[in-house]
Amino acid sequence: MISSFFRMFKSGFSSFIRNGWLSIASITIMLLTLLILSMFFMINVALSTGIKSIQEKIDISVYLKENIQQSVVIDMQYDLAGLKDVKSVNYISKDDAMAKFKIQYATNDKILNSVASIGNSLPASFDIKVYNPDKLDTINTELSQKKYKDIIDKISYQDNKSVIQSLLRATNYMKAAGIGITLVFSLISLIIIFNTIRIAIYSRMEEIEIMKLVGATPGFIKGPFLIEGAIYGFFATVLSIVMMASFVYFASPSLVSYFSDAGTSMSNYLTDNLIYIAIIEFLVGLIIGVFSSWLAIRKHLKIG
Amino acid sequence: MIYFEKVSKLYKTKEGTQSEALDDISLHIKPGEMVSIVGHSGSGKTTLIKLINREIKPDQGKIFIGGLDYDKLKKRDIPYLRRKIGVVFQDYKLLPKKTVFENVAYALEVAGVKVKDIKERVPNILELVGLSDKVNCFPRELSGGERQRVAIARALVHQPRILVADEPTGNLDPKISWDIVEILLKINEMGTTIIMTTHNVTIVNKLKKRVIKLSDGKIVRDEKMGRYGTK
Repeated sequence: MISSFFRMFKSGFSSFIRNGWLSIASITIMLLTLLILSMFFMINVALSTGIKSIQEKIDISVYLKENIQQSVVIDMQYDLAGLKDVKSVNYISKDDAMAKFKIQYATNDKILNSVASIGNSLPASFDIKVYNPDKLDTINTELSQKKYKDIIDKISYQDNKSVIQSLLRATNYMKAAGIGITLVFSLISLIIIFNTIRIAIYSRMEEIEIMKLVGATPGFIKGPFLIEGAIYGFFATVLSIVMMASFVYFASPSLVSYFSDAGTSMSNYLTDNLIYIAIIEFLVGLIIGVFSSWLAIRKHLKIG
Repeated sequence: MIYFEKVSKLYKTKEGTQSEALDDISLHIKPGEMVSIVGHSGSGKTTLIKLINREIKPDQGKIFIGGLDYDKLKKRDIPYLRRKIGVVFQDYKLLPKKTVFENVAYALEVAGVKVKDIKERVPNILELVGLSDKVNCFPRELSGGERQRVAIARALVHQPRILVADEPTGNLDPKISWDIVEILLKINEMGTTIIMTTHNVTIVNKLKKRVIKLSDGKIVRDEKMGRYGTK
């Protein structure tokens, strides 16, 4: 068993070396398709992280009426935080709001002076963040209940509803398009890789015929071809991973500077998950190589 | 050893008509015999070889080789049958990316022979065909005669009881052709049954062995110590 596997491996490897140009051509095509696929994967990651950071910025600000008792505020914050779609509820008191305002307009003396003369007219508010921006409407309905009527002055979502919903529709559409395009390209890549290996095996059909004529069983013929397919997959994925890792390493600073938050999260995502992406790509490459070879050689192995 | 009983083989032409390659032939070849199958191109010689190696099936009749009924042979048994018969092809059919040693060794590898045995048997057979100095050459580096010797070595290395050679001297000059035939004679003397198709008048006449002549798919002559022609 071990000796026949060793024989199969040796034969596959020597055939890989001796069919040098064919091997290089197959690996190059596999590499290019894997790189295109990786590129789409990265675009998808960039798109998802970009969309995520946009969606994270969408929140509801609930402005409270004047002179609401602290205990009522605490109860309301507790109730809101308990809702299943709510990620966080941040209370911003009148003083906090003013402090923020002053920081924001620190360089504008005119505004600061007029505010100082009027006094603090900014309302206290809740800043509500949700897990899924699609649920903002549910939160809005919750806040519109009778029990909050005497507490809430204004809900920001009601003013921005149409803009937020258009933004959500656009981001969801982009997300779906990203996944769709990646899937289509994955399929195209699979077809290209399969056909490359099929042509490589077809060019050696005579060799397969000879093997059959000297008494080789289909399994004996198939083994080295599958090993060759695995070697194609191995080299193509290793090269693709090296190129992708280099891209992430060298392009990270530019990504961060051009796309700010989205660039940072994309760069972080790729750096943090590079090892997993590499392992997955490696396994996928090996499986595609072996599976394509198996599929391509099957029909040439019929005897009798 | 080899029985053909009323065997016929038809080929379909592109026009959809059928042409008869072998027409109701019966023959019996005994163990240890050396038989030359002669005849013009298209007379059915190669079809006969292909039937023995089970590359094709007869349309009618029965074939028994070494006691094996070809009708009862399952597809999965064909590789094992081919390991019992050595075949030398006119166009050599060597694996282009394997060396002389590897080409010959391949016939043993398919049968699961151990590496140690392969390392002993291959050099011996290459010495028998006079190719000891070419073990590491690739087929493209060899002359026609040398390639044919490799093909013979590969057909013989697993010590088959039957060796079938399709025009083994077809592409070779007279001197090298006779060298090849001498190798076949040597093997025959060791007890291997040899069936050889040929066009070579000189060789057939010089051999003074059994000659079967085919014409239009029929056996028109079968002589124990025959010649190529009747005179």
